[in-house]
Amino acid sequence: MPKFSVEIIIEGKKNARDPEGETIMRDLMIKHGYDMVESVRSGKILKVNLEAKDENAAEEICLKMVNELRIYNPVAHMCVIKLVK
Amino acid sequence: MAQETIQQDEINLTAEEKAAVFKVLQRDLTLPEAAMLEVMNSEHCSYKSSRPILPLLPTEGPRVICGPGEDAGVVDIGDGLALVFKLESHNHPSALDPYNGAATGVGGIIRDILCMGARPIGLLDSFRFGKLSDPHTKWLLKHVTKGVGGYGNCVGIANAGGEIEFDPSFQINCLINVGCFGIMRKDELALSTATTPGDRLILLGGSTGRDGIGGASFASKDITEESESDRGAVQIGDPYMKKLIIEATLEAIKSGVVEGLKDLGAAGVTCSISETADAGGTGTEIDLEKIRIREDDMEPWEILVSESQERMFFVVKPENVSKIGAIFAKYELPYEDLGVVTDSGKCVVNHKGKPIVDLPAHLLTKPPAANRTAEYPDYLDKLDRKWLPKEPETKELNDICRKIMASDNIISREWVYRQYDTEVGLYSTIKSGQGDGGVFRLTEFGSKKGIAATFDGNSHHCYLDPYNGGAGVLMEACSNVAAVGAEPIAFTDCLNFGNPEHPKVFWTFEKVVEGIADAAKALDIPCVGGNVSFYNHDQVNNVAVKPSPVIFAAGLIDDVSKAMNNKFKAPKQHIILIGETRTEIGGSEYTRVIHQTENGQVPKVDFTTAKNTLADMVSIINSELVTASHDLSKGGLFVTLTEMAMASNLGYNIDIHRMPADTERVDIRLFSETHGRFLVTVINENLGKVVAQFAQHQIPATLIGTVTEDKKLLISNGNDTNIIELPLEEIKQKWKFRMEEEMEGKIQK
Repeated sequence: MPKFSVEIIIEGKKNARDPEGETIMRDLMIKHGYDMVESVRSGKILKVNLEAKDENAAEEICLKMVNELRIYNPVAHMCVIKLVK
Repeated sequence: MAQETIQQDEINLTAEEKAAVFKVLQRDLTLPEAAMLEVMNSEHCSYKSSRPILPLLPTEGPRVICGPGEDAGVVDIGDGLALVFKLESHNHPSALDPYNGAATGVGGIIRDILCMGARPIGLLDSFRFGKLSDPHTKWLLKHVTKGVGGYGNCVGIANAGGEIEFDPSFQINCLINVGCFGIMRKDELALSTATTPGDRLILLGGSTGRDGIGGASFASKDITEESESDRGAVQIGDPYMKKLIIEATLEAIKSGVVEGLKDLGAAGVTCSISETADAGGTGTEIDLEKIRIREDDMEPWEILVSESQERMFFVVKPENVSKIGAIFAKYELPYEDLGVVTDSGKCVVNHKGKPIVDLPAHLLTKPPAANRTAEYPDYLDKLDRKWLPKEPETKELNDICRKIMASDNIISREWVYRQYDTEVGLYSTIKSGQGDGGVFRLTEFGSKKGIAATFDGNSHHCYLDPYNGGAGVLMEACSNVAAVGAEPIAFTDCLNFGNPEHPKVFWTFEKVVEGIADAAKALDIPCVGGNVSFYNHDQVNNVAVKPSPVIFAAGLIDDVSKAMNNKFKAPKQHIILIGETRTEIGGSEYTRVIHQTENGQVPKVDFTTAKNTLADMVSIINSELVTASHDLSKGGLFVTLTEMAMASNLGYNIDIHRMPADTERVDIRLFSETHGRFLVTVINENLGKVVAQFAQHQIPATLIGTVTEDKKLLISNGNDTNIIELPLEEIKQKWKFRMEEEMEGKIQK
């Protein structure tokens, strides 16, 4: 079976607060002169290498996996699954 | 007021609530007014169902400074100090987003303590979930624990203890209650009032976003599958900002510039501007544009009811605005001057120069109570109170003990509390797992006294017998406090129930409150506050949670160095059982785990001896007559003895024939959950003194055995033959590691 690389990006919902991102922006960037920065969002990224039948199957496995294992909480987070080519 | 108005029939209020509003107003409402009224009329904010029942609870006592009605209870503890404490539910948010739900629950309860002017020093938590082995339970438990720890550890407030119960009725609706206590100088009490027209209204802290929009009315709705889409209601906490808010607020109070103080919790700005005005007999007027918003396109009503975290509301004299501003600036905290206190009795909100809200404050703060009906639930008739199991054969006893020690509700909670910081602040002397309640020293505040704090609940007893269950929960909480040597001085409660519009649910609510009230009178302990959480009803499976009052009892110990833990200290010390054992196994671990039935008599608190038993316990510990103490609760005598043995790695040798009981049956003597019983260990020369102390009040104190060097659990029944003989190590391994194994998979050794 062919191998694929998939990136799973998990971040807070668009309008939810992100204290980590806010702190990085306020206390690091702005305070140290990078005042052109307008916003920062933190999140996490999982880089998964896996075997699957094809590209669609690879994405589907990842989608099923993150939902089933509650790797993110759909109530609080957004999750984007991207195939890396 | 030229803007969008709301017709009467579009408002989500009951007929009585609408009548109360329109009788006063005689006009249509604006959209923001409707939103504010809706949220303030919600069960969560208005206590409309529970308000007619709660006055049953005694609220007065010589130590009480502030009882129910303020943000938290305040009691005098001498030395010029006061203890402030409160507990609150965060059930619905935690069921949907366990991490953020639990974390913001902790954030919210800290604000309640802070806004009285106290430094928060300890946290407690109480969880109720479905069966531990269930994957959904594990997901909730894992993230709720992380949420409580993540917030509490980062904000720097130590965890003082708590309790966890597992029962299938909590499968969908988990119950997450959190408590906090703090200490202040009595003269620094801050009240949620705005008394003087002309004073300024200052909003401190984070920006206002859509988080928790409608969170209050949302908490008053049952959870359905559609709740997953109520996503905007999730709040995100920021413990590091909270730490700055705590320090800035306490410094502002110390500098004498704070006239009134209110935290922003449910109903946000709406609640602050109306409650401070109503309490002070004044009015408030603010400019909406002054509130810093996080999302550009927020509607005025959203800004007014947003429950964004990490905000505090101050009432300050105009000449002190710059002084308080300088304090906030020092902590790099943003703040805004929103408006002014008026003498109009009204809450006015201006937007672009025009008033968009103009409501009498009392309409918001004193909505009409709901008239709920109560009806006896027929499930109670199906229970056989006189039921007794077939007496087990002696050879079965060892296995029964093994099963009980490894059951969901008995196993060690170490997996949870080891994720909590129990040391930060250096206040804690008895920590989770070491005693029946957490004990905190007050050296930092110049006192040698100590505070004991404990949570207790028992949904099994309360379901089978709401009155006696309710009374038992208070007795058990006070026993926990007494077992560490502290005098129980006050309590607050969190009453978690199903839908109050269901008469059978409401009946259980009434009975539980009656039970707590009668026990409080018997123990002579005031209720200084509380919280009610209704609608813990799962509509998917149509089950309400079991009635689950959780009591936060606070105790005071004169010399904190005398606080007692539950560990056996040395072999050959005597083990004494205080109290008499009755045939009360309804809802017990034994009955549920071994016999899987709901029958049997639930323990009844003996109101005549309860107060004396606790007072005698406090007395013998403070006279340094005992070397360990532990109260008997879930699992009865056997579990209590074994917990003491496991804490010390020493064994015991007990003759249960000696214990005073109304039955000869071995199983009942071992596992009955009769209240008002304790185990203490004493050295030989103090044996007589301890027995004499209790004899004054006709309370039996019986020598039932000794602590042994041999790491074995040995129990006999009137002769030399052991009816129970178990190796301590085997029992301890199961008890100590089962939760970890469930949560993290089998441990490789």
